[in-house]
Amino acid sequence: MYVPENLDDLLTYLERHQSGVQLIANGSDLINRMQRRQVNAQVLVDLSGLSEFNFVRKDKGKIRIGALTTIHDLISSPVLGSRYDVFRDVAAKFGGPSIVNVATVGGNICAASSAEDLIPVLLVLNAKVSLRSKKGERVITLKEFLRGKRQTALLQNEIMVETVFDELDEQSSCAFEKIGMRNSLIIAILNCSVYLKLDKRTKRVDDIRLALNRVFEKIPARAKKTEIAMRGKNLSMQLVETAITSLKSELQLSSDFRASKEYRHDVAPVLFKRALIKCAERLGEKLVV
Amino acid sequence: MSRHLLKFNVNGKDHALVVESHERLLDVLRDRLGLKGTKEGCSTGDCGICAVLMDGKLVNSCLVIAIQARNKKITTIEAIGTSEQLHPLQREFIKWNASQCGFCIPAMILASKNLLDHKPSPTDEEIKQATRGIICRCTGYHSMINAVRAAALEMKKQ
Amino acid sequence: MAEKHGTRPDAPQLVLVGKSVERLDSVDKVLGKPIYTMDILPENCLYLKVVRSTHVHSLLKSVDVSKARNYPGVVQVITAADVPGINESTALLPDKPLLASDKVRFVGEPIAAIASYDPVIAEEAVDLVKIEYEDLRAVFSPLDAIESDAPKIHANGNIAKHLKLRKGNVEEGFKQADYVVEGTYKTQFQEPVPLEPEAGFVVPEPDGSVTCVGSMQSPFHVQTGIAKILSLPPQQVRVIQAATGGAFGPKSDEMPVDILGMAAIVALKTGKPTALAYTREESMIGHTKRHPFVIKLKAGVKKNGRLTAWEARLIADTGAYASLGPLVITRALFHATGPYEIPNVKSDSYCVYTNNTMAGSFRGFGGPQSHFAAESHVEEIAKRIGMDPLKFRRLNMLRPGCLTATSQLIDESCGLEECIEKVLEASDWHTKRNEYTKQTGTIRKGIGIAIMYHGNSLGPEGNDYVAVHMKIDKDGTIRFRTALTEYGTGATSGLLQIAAEVMHLPLRYFKLDPPDTDYCNDAGPTVASRTISVGGRASQMVAGKLHQRLKEIAARMLGCIVDEIESTNGSYYARERPEHSVSYLDVVKSAYEQGLELKVDDTFTAPKCEYDPETSQGTTYLQYTYGAVTAEVEVDTETGKVQVDKIVAAYDIGKAINPLSVEGQIEGGTVQGVGYGIMEELIHKDGVVLNPNLADYYVPTSMDVPEIKSILVEYPGHLGPYGAKVIGEPPIVLPAPAIVNAIDHAVGVRLSEIPATPDRVLLALKNMIAQPRS
Repeated sequence: MYVPENLDDLLTYLERHQSGVQLIANGSDLINRMQRRQVNAQVLVDLSGLSEFNFVRKDKGKIRIGALTTIHDLISSPVLGSRYDVFRDVAAKFGGPSIVNVATVGGNICAASSAEDLIPVLLVLNAKVSLRSKKGERVITLKEFLRGKRQTALLQNEIMVETVFDELDEQSSCAFEKIGMRNSLIIAILNCSVYLKLDKRTKRVDDIRLALNRVFEKIPARAKKTEIAMRGKNLSMQLVETAITSLKSELQLSSDFRASKEYRHDVAPVLFKRALIKCAERLGEKLVV
Repeated sequence: MSRHLLKFNVNGKDHALVVESHERLLDVLRDRLGLKGTKEGCSTGDCGICAVLMDGKLVNSCLVIAIQARNKKITTIEAIGTSEQLHPLQREFIKWNASQCGFCIPAMILASKNLLDHKPSPTDEEIKQATRGIICRCTGYHSMINAVRAAALEMKKQ
Repeated sequence: MAEKHGTRPDAPQLVLVGKSVERLDSVDKVLGKPIYTMDILPENCLYLKVVRSTHVHSLLKSVDVSKARNYPGVVQVITAADVPGINESTALLPDKPLLASDKVRFVGEPIAAIASYDPVIAEEAVDLVKIEYEDLRAVFSPLDAIESDAPKIHANGNIAKHLKLRKGNVEEGFKQADYVVEGTYKTQFQEPVPLEPEAGFVVPEPDGSVTCVGSMQSPFHVQTGIAKILSLPPQQVRVIQAATGGAFGPKSDEMPVDILGMAAIVALKTGKPTALAYTREESMIGHTKRHPFVIKLKAGVKKNGRLTAWEARLIADTGAYASLGPLVITRALFHATGPYEIPNVKSDSYCVYTNNTMAGSFRGFGGPQSHFAAESHVEEIAKRIGMDPLKFRRLNMLRPGCLTATSQLIDESCGLEECIEKVLEASDWHTKRNEYTKQTGTIRKGIGIAIMYHGNSLGPEGNDYVAVHMKIDKDGTIRFRTALTEYGTGATSGLLQIAAEVMHLPLRYFKLDPPDTDYCNDAGPTVASRTISVGGRASQMVAGKLHQRLKEIAARMLGCIVDEIESTNGSYYARERPEHSVSYLDVVKSAYEQGLELKVDDTFTAPKCEYDPETSQGTTYLQYTYGAVTAEVEVDTETGKVQVDKIVAAYDIGKAINPLSVEGQIEGGTVQGVGYGIMEELIHKDGVVLNPNLADYYVPTSMDVPEIKSILVEYPGHLGPYGAKVIGEPPIVLPAPAIVNAIDHAVGVRLSEIPATPDRVLLALKNMIAQPRS
């Protein structure tokens, strides 16, 4: 195991050892999937000491969240007021306190699976991720970062240092809905996050973004077709119905032991609708559907 | 596998141990320090039975690689109460029959003590939230909630 | 606190029994003392890792452990060839080996075990064992396995047991019926999830014997099993139960014998203490779980609502090995009608092998499955004849003077009706039943009811006896020894409460010694909730004898005859001269001075149950516990998610020895029953368990529990001490059918398969909208 003192140490190490390295944040679920033999073969790199990456900042109209920010610190950050209750939506159904206390934003993103609840939220916030190596920094969209199930664009000499998205304002809001088999320690059968930008005067949907933990593959993605169907139109019951029809055709979900494909297809529109209603409520609008 | 020096504080006592890279905090507590009160229920972080307090926060010790506990203050069940003087939580757990097989109890007590340290008069809903990551198979949770509520009242009197 | 009702006015004045008393074992638990198996491992212990089959149904062509043996750090590797005695580890039928030798029958079956001082090395060496399989056709559904062309899992075919119940004449009964209602009901594998995974260690002693310590329910069953495996006389196998972190059934079946058997073989070979602990995954795959059942019911009923006939076909999937499957299907068979009087009954139950993992003992033991089917079916029958289901139940339910399906007469110790009345009242049944039919909106509430009976004692499951030993030390401590085990129920503390009551002494004078085959006599398995019912009688008996001895000594000291002696709270005196007394400690001292023995060993044996094995008619159980449960649910009609808001449960428990413990059993069992009803399912696909972990197998959390109101009803029975009846198992039986009935009330769909997952509920709702019921 290698325990870096600071970022520079870490990047130097990663530059030198471009294979056989496994990055570990806090409470990593990698311990779950680690066989002892792999521990021997691979070097663990413990990121937990890099506390400078636990931050939530407002910076020139953007929110920057350090990769090692725990879910607990995220939701208790004074920078993220009630406008960012979407993160509290996630935390409320995120494991239990002992998981919320150690799971990190970076860990969630880099795990790149449909069980990582923050990813759909960050996708609708159009988040970007900042990747650092000895050679410098590159910033790519979260979408580009997620290559497939448990696969990211992270190069062997890189670490993810922060995620960034535009601040929400009085016209925009965000919400998250999840369904699982019980009320705590839930692995999502399906979840959905919605971002809504509404002209309050005309009720025009200036922007809408919608992501589910599964759309056509087993990783979170945006339902772009449905977004296009809604953008620029006035928010109404009919628009929601149209969106639902579009969503149903856009989704290509599969069955697994948690739920059938039919169930996921039936419930996706319900979660979307509920998240949308919450978004509207957060803007002081009542959407009657 | 490599070896590292782990310096941390457990139940008020400083320790310096050489740990191997694959050791978990759970292993160090149980096998190296002989503190058997923290139990292992599933090894995958899904049951909460191994929970301890790390710098005042509830964590699953099976998900913490030992070296990640460096410079931290760990509290285990062994720091709570003694046979001569039980903590009010322990007294109430006994009184309300909140301990049946006992396997989840160290975690439940640490979680509820942590709650009461931050919220001396929790609602039942807050008690449930604070313990929602710890599985109990024997009691159905009601007696635990009764015990924590009663302990909160007891502790306010003191 | 639970309410109590129905106590007989002529009941004797009790000082301790009937009071809520703190358990004796709680202090160690709240302090986190090292009392469980993995806390007390010997120094320099070898660790075992089990090599398991990755194929589902195959002949074992070869098992090559040579590479594993030579792996640095590996001390020993054992296979079937290394078993000194009989290669068998089984709960009932001789169908299961300790280590597979010629064949494997499920994915995960133990084939070999590797020992090392470093558990990581043992685990690494697992991959080095080369196994050659010759695959056979496999079968995963008991309905397929029961067919004659199914692949044979065991030499004698796939039906491990078939039992019959014949009462009256069903053909006649159906002829008398105005309606015949059929239904098929399915239940799932429910995984017990004791929080402490199985563990044990064996210490080889200098005299060639072994000391086995582990997490278990039945030390003597383990002793017998290990002795056979090692080819040692039982006296050379000492078994001690360590504090056990939950059991619920699997730790009374094969697992402790599997674990300690493998450890003992290695311990004897190496001369070193050897430990084996299962991971959660191994525990969930390897140990026994609740049998899934497919139950076909056909009921004949008259227009006036009286049942005339009941035909049941119960098929249980027992997995690769039978375990206690034959006994589970016995209980299921006897209870297949539900708690109703039906003049003509024809039931058949089958315990069927498949290549799934093993099913065996789990709290309820066939009762949950039978009651899910029966209590669902009576609602369908009531609907068909246009009668309120509660009225239907009242018309047909068991009352004193009725005969059960086994033609057993129900006597006055039947509190079923009062249980029903109490839950109706406490749940505000009539108001809610009415109110909830007028709902609109996406969330619909419903309230449902289910009722039960539960035969007490091992009944047909075996000889029911318990040995108890009590001895008074010089300092007055009364040592209580029995091989009945504590694993969370608090029942063994109850035994001491009874002894203290009988002897008129404070509870703190009593000490429970750990169950140790060297110091206890066989008390049978700690199952079937028999600790208080049968164990309690043994406690009463032995305490009674010891009390008599103390009175005799006191009488001599006081210069009177023993019949004149009274005792109160540790003081003995002659009835006519109460001011002249001797204290308990005086009496003990005197006994020691005179060299008199203050020790009693005795066994209480319950009367045997006699019935005709061909028809199952006769005395199948010695008494019955009764119960009624209402469940209130909320159904989200858009997502199918069911929330259980409130459970009201009333049980006729005869006499609550310790109401606090009884309530604990009710609450714990109820939550397990809720899990059974809406979220728990161990899912197999082609024999592979898809969710052998606690992330994907959903045990209810604190956020899932309903409000629970417990009501105790007391109609004393004839078996247990002070009229006590069993309570350990019944609470898990009714939540599932009550919930399913509540869902029906809420949204008008009948789920005939559990668990009622969101997927199943939503599908049922969709189907109902597509084809509305007439």
